[in-house]
This record gives sequence, structure tokens and C-alpha cells, in this order.
Amino acid sequence: MNGELTRAIADLEENEALRLTREKLDGGEEPQLVLEESRKGMEIVGKRFSDGTYFLPELIFSAEILKEITEIVKPKLTKEIQSERLGKCIIGTVAGDIHDIGKDIVVFMLDVNGFEVHDLGVDVPPQKFVDKITETNAPIVGLSGFLTLAFDSMKETVDAIKAAGLRDKVKIMIGGGQINEEIRKYAGADAYGQDAMTAVSLAKTWL
Amino acid sequence: MTIVRDIHLSLEKKQILRREGIRQQSSVRPEIITLIDELLVSIGDEHLLESVCAYEIYPVSRIDHNQLSLAGNKVLHGPILTSALSDAGELAVAVCTIGTGLEKKVAEYLGGSEPLRGLLLDGIGSAAVDSLAQEACKLITDAALLRGYQTSSPFSPGMPGFPITEQWQLFRLVPAEEIGVSLAASGMMVPRKSVSMAIGLGQQATAWKRRDTCASCNLSNTCLYRWEVNNKHTKS
Repeated sequence: MNGELTRAIADLEENEALRLTREKLDGGEEPQLVLEESRKGMEIVGKRFSDGTYFLPELIFSAEILKEITEIVKPKLTKEIQSERLGKCIIGTVAGDIHDIGKDIVVFMLDVNGFEVHDLGVDVPPQKFVDKITETNAPIVGLSGFLTLAFDSMKETVDAIKAAGLRDKVKIMIGGGQINEEIRKYAGADAYGQDAMTAVSLAKTWL
Repeated sequence: MTIVRDIHLSLEKKQILRREGIRQQSSVRPEIITLIDELLVSIGDEHLLESVCAYEIYPVSRIDHNQLSLAGNKVLHGPILTSALSDAGELAVAVCTIGTGLEKKVAEYLGGSEPLRGLLLDGIGSAAVDSLAQEACKLITDAALLRGYQTSSPFSPGMPGFPITEQWQLFRLVPAEEIGVSLAASGMMVPRKSVSMAIGLGQQATAWKRRDTCASCNLSNTCLYRWEVNNKHTKS
């Protein structure tokens, strides 16, 4: 690894990143090493997003580049590695709220970062989360909501998970427009995230 | 009720970027700007914006501590309304939307493999709604001026002092289904790219700038979409 691919991804040079990926694979470099170098590039993007150098569109752009790289690398991986995922997550916008863009961005970022994501959509009743946890045994649940009215739905969803005896089996994160520590405590969640990058970091921490 | 369709919207790059949460245009990568330009062209080509505004004007019959009473036994509640519109003789109530086309396209992009396009188009839609709200205010102001009235700045449910729950009451004042806007069970407008507002009309009316509204919000220091002092477009 000489870091060229890492730099190209970090600097969002899409064409250069894809060219380097093909060049490395054609030159016989191990596909997993290519992915590792790409991951380092994404780490730099994440840092630049956190310090305000990059904004959400750039974060999504980098994830799209990573997705393209993954598609190129995939055929070179063994079938076992191809289907390998970091872990399962369940995500949905809670009952009463129909905002989806923030939730969709988190779903995309988790997917690109290697998670198996079960997207329940918007206006999701608590029981649907409970059923999906039971069905998939996913250890991570993300509750999204933009409206202040969603805070009660988040609490009701966490309560339903607790009532079903599943609370100890899952870590729950919440996110959306006005979420803060106070809302996290009210809802009974384990953590909250201000952006999609935090959601990915939290999910990785919880594995 | 007055319905005005095909309202011309001003989609300025700076306002679109603000709606993407970007505060410094100079730091945006050229690829992002190019993509926004492409999307702006596609909006026209695919007729994704169907701007329309419906509004009704009611005489104000009484102003109490927390309640604005209107002709026909209609009411709106909110301390900001009664304090800021104490001189209002009439109240204009408006609902505006850019329609469903853009939202459907955003969903298509997000559901496919183009989330960046989806995100940017969503931001363009939000900027379009901001522009539509401004144009609707102008329409109402122009009509009021002809009758010798001044107009206040607009209030929307959810602003400090105007509870979001008043959205239901506001929709009783404007039959917005005629322009394709309804309320979800939570009170959210469908299509989401819509705006509702109340504007006072009177011999004297209080006006303020959007940045002042943002400054009074408890998210004023953290909101990505706030209007700031250096923002040129602060008319309403």
C-alpha cells in the first residue's frame, strides 16, 4: 500500500480512485488490501466531516466512491468474504413521523461501511421494530425522527422493546433534527447521533 | 379562497447550499456544484416543481391573551400571534406547496444507487419552498397594499410562540386539499415540501427578518439551516 488510493478517496477524486483500484487489482494486489486502503481514505473523510472541512454532500460522495470501489473489488473476493458483513442493524423512522431523508442517508452509510441493514421505512409502529429484532436477532436498532412529536414515539418504541424482553439484547441509537442528551434519556436509548457518521461510529463501537 | 399557480421561484445557489447545511460556498467541491447545476436543469426538463399557493383572508374579531378570534367563529392560538398582531384588522392564512414531483424523484434517487443526487435534490426542494413562501408573502402584501393595508412578517406553526398543534386549526381556515396538501396524523404536511403561514394585515404591521426568527429559536446556535446576519436574502 502506498497510500495513493487512500489520498484519492480522502480528496474525493472519484475517477482517480477508480483508476487506481483497477490498476492495483490488475497488478495483482490483494483485493482485501485495496479495501483496507479505501477504508483508511474513508476514515480521513470522516475526520474532515467532523472538523467541518467537509459537509454532508461530500460525505455521501465519498461513500458513493467507496461503493463503486467495492463493486469493482467484489468479483475478486472469495464468496465467503463477499457475503461477510460486520453486523446487523434495524433502522426506521418512528410512528407518526414520515421524514425519510436522514434515515435513508444513515442506511446508506451503514450499508457502505459493511453492515447488513434492515430498513423498516417511515411511520413504523413499535411492534414492527420488536418483530424485526425477534426475526433477525440484530443487536443494533436505530430510531429516526425529525418532529418533536417523534420523541414520544421513540420512548414508546424503546418501552415496547423492553416489554418484549429484548432490551438487553440490543443497543438503541436515536437520531434526527433536534435530538440531544436530554431526549436520549427521555426515550431510554443508549446513545444519540447528530449525523450519519456518528451512527456508523456508534454501530462499530457496539459490535 | 384565492389560489395562485405556477409561481416563479428563485433558486439561488447560496440558498440551495444553505439548505444542504453548507455555509461556505467557496469550500464546496466543484463536483457538487456541477451536480447541483445538472439537477436544476432536470427540474425544468422534468417539470418537478408545481408551485401553488392558496390563501384566505379573515377579519380579526378579537384578540385575547393567547387566542386570535376570526370571523366565522374561527380561532388560532399562540402567544406570538396575539402579541405581534395586536394591531391587525385582518389575518391572511396561506398554504403553499411545490407538489409531489420533486419528492418522488428524491425517493427514486435515494432508493436507487444515487443518494448524493437525492440529498442535493431534496435541498433544492427546500430552497424552492423557502422561495415560494417569500413569493406568497409578496402576493398577499401586494393585494393588501391596494386596500391600504400593511402586512406583518409570516408566522408558521412550529415557530416559537405558535404551537405546531395549531396546524390543524390553520388547515380549517384554508381548504388546502384543493391544492393537494393534507395533514398526516402527526400534523405534518403532505407533500412535505409545503409551508403554511399566517400574516397580519392592518394600518400598521410589524415586520422582521428571517434571521430574527432564527435568533429567537432555541436551536439558533446549532441549526444547520439558520439564516444569518451575512445572509443577503432576509426580506421576510
